Amino acid sequence: MKYRPTTRTFRKLSQLLFLILFFVLFRKTDYSGSDTLPYAVNLFFRWDPLVAATVTLAARKVILLLLPSLFVILLTVVMGRVFCGWVCPMGTLLDLLDKGIHPPGNPSVRLRKMKYLVLIVLLVSSLFSLQLIGFLDPFSLLVRGAAFSIDPMFNWLTTGFFDTIYSHAPAFADRVTEPVYSVLKNGLLPFRQSFYFLSTLSLMILIAIGAMEKLGKRFWCRNLCPLGALLALFSRWSFFRRIPTASCRNCPQCAPNCRMNAFDPDNGKLHHEECNLCMDCVDDCLNQSPRFAFTRRNNHVPVDLGRRAFVGSALAGMALPVAAKVGAISRVPHPLLLRPPGVKNETDFLSLCVRCGECMKACIENALQPCFFESGYQGMFSPRLVPRLGYCEFNCTLCGQVCPTGAIPKLLLPAKQKAIIGIAVFDVNRCLPYANGIPCMVCEEHCPTSKKAILFRDKTVMNRKGEELVVKQPYVVEELCIGCGICENKCPLPGASAIRVLTASKGTSGYSDGYG
Amino acid sequence: MDRRDFLRQVAKWTAGTLLASPIFNITPELLAAERPFPRVAIGTGNEITTLVERVLAPLGGMKTFVNPGNRVVVKPNIGWDRSPEQAADTHPEVVKAVVALALAAGAKEVLVFDNTCNEERRCYHQSGIKPALAGMKNVRCDYIDKRKFVPVDISKGKSIHNWLFYRDALEADCYINVPIAKHHSLARLTIGLKNIMGVIGGHRGEIHQNIGQNLADLNTVIRPALTIVDATRILLRNGPQGGSLRDVKVLNTILASADIVAADAVATTLFGLNPTDIPATRAAAAMGLGEMNLARIEQIRV
Repeated sequence: MKYRPTTRTFRKLSQLLFLILFFVLFRKTDYSGSDTLPYAVNLFFRWDPLVAATVTLAARKVILLLLPSLFVILLTVVMGRVFCGWVCPMGTLLDLLDKGIHPPGNPSVRLRKMKYLVLIVLLVSSLFSLQLIGFLDPFSLLVRGAAFSIDPMFNWLTTGFFDTIYSHAPAFADRVTEPVYSVLKNGLLPFRQSFYFLSTLSLMILIAIGAMEKLGKRFWCRNLCPLGALLALFSRWSFFRRIPTASCRNCPQCAPNCRMNAFDPDNGKLHHEECNLCMDCVDDCLNQSPRFAFTRRNNHVPVDLGRRAFVGSALAGMALPVAAKVGAISRVPHPLLLRPPGVKNETDFLSLCVRCGECMKACIENALQPCFFESGYQGMFSPRLVPRLGYCEFNCTLCGQVCPTGAIPKLLLPAKQKAIIGIAVFDVNRCLPYANGIPCMVCEEHCPTSKKAILFRDKTVMNRKGEELVVKQPYVVEELCIGCGICENKCPLPGASAIRVLTASKGTSGYSDGYG
Repeated sequence: MDRRDFLRQVAKWTAGTLLASPIFNITPELLAAERPFPRVAIGTGNEITTLVERVLAPLGGMKTFVNPGNRVVVKPNIGWDRSPEQAADTHPEVVKAVVALALAAGAKEVLVFDNTCNEERRCYHQSGIKPALAGMKNVRCDYIDKRKFVPVDISKGKSIHNWLFYRDALEADCYINVPIAKHHSLARLTIGLKNIMGVIGGHRGEIHQNIGQNLADLNTVIRPALTIVDATRILLRNGPQGGSLRDVKVLNTILASADIVAADAVATTLFGLNPTDIPATRAAAAMGLGEMNLARIEQIRV
């Protein structure tokens, strides 16, 4: 039998290509030997219209970086939800998962309106400056899950396997495994093992989305995805549609097998905004009767969203920002909450940040970590610097380069090197020259500002044996310290560092009351 | 090893033999280590490649140190994410010239590496060293592989007795130390002896708590066959990483010696300091690792 490519072949090919693109961009979100990243590694966020919509509303400004999202809107207005069926890597992964999970046919359509409710809550709360998209944007969930858990787990297992052979197996085994390992290191594996807070939570979210497939194909896309909901609304105007608009009476093909369950269970009519144009119904039709073609709007099925539901979700969207405003975290900012370089105002930052995880993936020192409750639930998954894990590399500007919304400003190196992240403070109860009279200068040695922000004073002290001696005692020059955290990172004391970076009080947070 | 140490070793040995209980280790230096002649060659010039060659000539050229088929380690300072003119890392052209000479002398393979302080990829690229060596055959400029750190007993150590060392450095047939001379707030200067920090693992910050003796102890484990000090430009202040060109002084000078202590001692004079001002130099000389008395060092200007 001769192989004939069908529409399905092309659709799968497209899905595969975009999935590969997604992972290539993911891998390229890293230092490459040059100070600037040559690719738009944040492409998936920049063409995400949901990101564009919520950020524009919340920050009240047009962000040029997000212009590619207009293309996706245009595509949807012309072609319908092809993005969901042919492009979205989350959808592709769910389709792949279905091969093993075997979801039941004819799932319930009652939950379908959920995604609109979610979308309304997100948009309305954005209008009142509360940015919650990071909890539900499919790419944010995917990149975070991949960056915080799947990729580090993959590296952990792979390097663990090769390291065990390297350390314990006889030398001849190395000769086979080490070349394989170096090939893997040069292509597939990340440069180094990274560690993230919330790794398990990020993985669990992805697992939950996958597990929901057990309730029906594309459960996430049909019922929850706010991006899918937004595209569904735009697709109501689209010209490229299925003809005929209903499934054939008594035919067991299209309707039960539709991955989006887009045919009305009562009258067989197609809910066009639910269709993601996978076109399986064209390929599998026993009569070869349906097709997709450019046509004018040919059906008038209302969106499944009642007035009450609309008003209710809009009210919820209004209530959430107020609830967040009266949260105590807005009065007492976490003293160790250090934002990436260049971030000036916490409120503006949180309204721009879509928790995509790109900055944390790119951070060359693994220093940027997802927040848990340090800035309230609304700041969960937003980036913060954890100096004991990693410091902000003085000559690196990657986080600003990969940020798709400008939440972390894209700074040129001289400006970045002056951007104040926090302020280093000594704990003289633990610092060796103060506490024990032992000379140590690791913090000063690593301080990167060219006029060092850590200097010494000679001081006569008594050591533990009761002998008097002169040691150099370090102190911080506050005007020069930028809070990069390399001192805290390199401090040789076990456990907590004897120098810690605290939130700078130089008017950067803007909402602390304190004295006066 | 100095005379006193030699006599002490001999006495211990004799006593041990007489008592017929061989509890003493034959320290390798007693049997083998011939103390290198304290000859330091100093040269000045704008053309780095030829300068390196000229400076090595009075020492017998690279072939004195590298035998055909040798696996050579060239250990520059690549510790910081700084550009060559900022004088925090060894100049890439110096490294390249040394590597090329080692290859020309018949080295089978040359390994160049350093355990960096800043992020290693940034250091290797920004220092210009990795790009400079790109494309050279039989040269590997790999990042540190953490699996290769092995614990070593420092039998001669007075302050530290065990530390993690990099296997490639321990196994080298010929180890060439190529430090840059620069200011360091605690060690005063960092030159050849301190460059050993780049081949050790573990919690390196602890070394600073008794830095002079600790560095001398570490240097008993790896004894470079040759030390080439890059003083093409030196960092006078805000060391060891600098960052401002105001702190850099261009000298276009390179020093070379088989005696690491002598090399450090002479390089110290470039800063207007005495070798005795540097704790590591003092400690190393006291342990017999080399000569720091300028009067006893033969200095050859080329």
